Amino acid sequence: MLIRIIIDLLIAVGLVFACAGTIGILKMPDPFSRMQAATCISTLGMLGVAVGGVLYAAVIMHSAGAAIKIAVIALMIMVTNPVGSHAIAKGAYSHGYRPEKKMETDDLGRDFDE
Amino acid sequence: MTDLLIFAIFFALLAFICVYRLVKGPTAADRMVTGDNVDILLCCAMILFSLFSGRGVYLDIALICALFGIIDTIAVGRYLDRKGRFHNADSDHH
Repeated sequence: MLIRIIIDLLIAVGLVFACAGTIGILKMPDPFSRMQAATCISTLGMLGVAVGGVLYAAVIMHSAGAAIKIAVIALMIMVTNPVGSHAIAKGAYSHGYRPEKKMETDDLGRDFDE
Repeated sequence: MTDLLIFAIFFALLAFICVYRLVKGPTAADRMVTGDNVDILLCCAMILFSLFSGRGVYLDIALICALFGIIDTIAVGRYLDRKGRFHNADSDHH
């Protein structure tokens, strides 16, 4: 019974972080801030669900295939999501989107003609 | 047993709330960031529902969902990048 409580706590922590990321996506002013808030969902929210799911599949369901599949899904999202975030951020900057407030340092800006 | 279903419903609800920003978001980068996160939230919901119902098909769907999510994120990122660069080169030469 203790393992059920641990699994529920892990998934609940993931849900809290996913909730924080969703609020950040809704309330932040520009694409870069939204990206920064949305990182919550894909790292900690996903990690809570994946660890809870692997524990549930391995300990309660006794199914090694499901546990390995969930681990592969979590690993793939955690490895590939920073790459996608970098691509979106560089593309948005080079397309001409800028943050709402004036930036203090702008190291990427000297690569483009302003 | 039912707690997994409740968590899955909450994750799907969060994804549904994100659709508001997906429709309203002012720029293409906003829409793409939100789309990526809707993808991940639905992936989480499908993992939990697969554990609840005991069927492995939903895990396969979640795997494919995560895979195509990252592919279209990188594709749209490259598209925005390319477009900005061509625009800058044009405005330089004229």
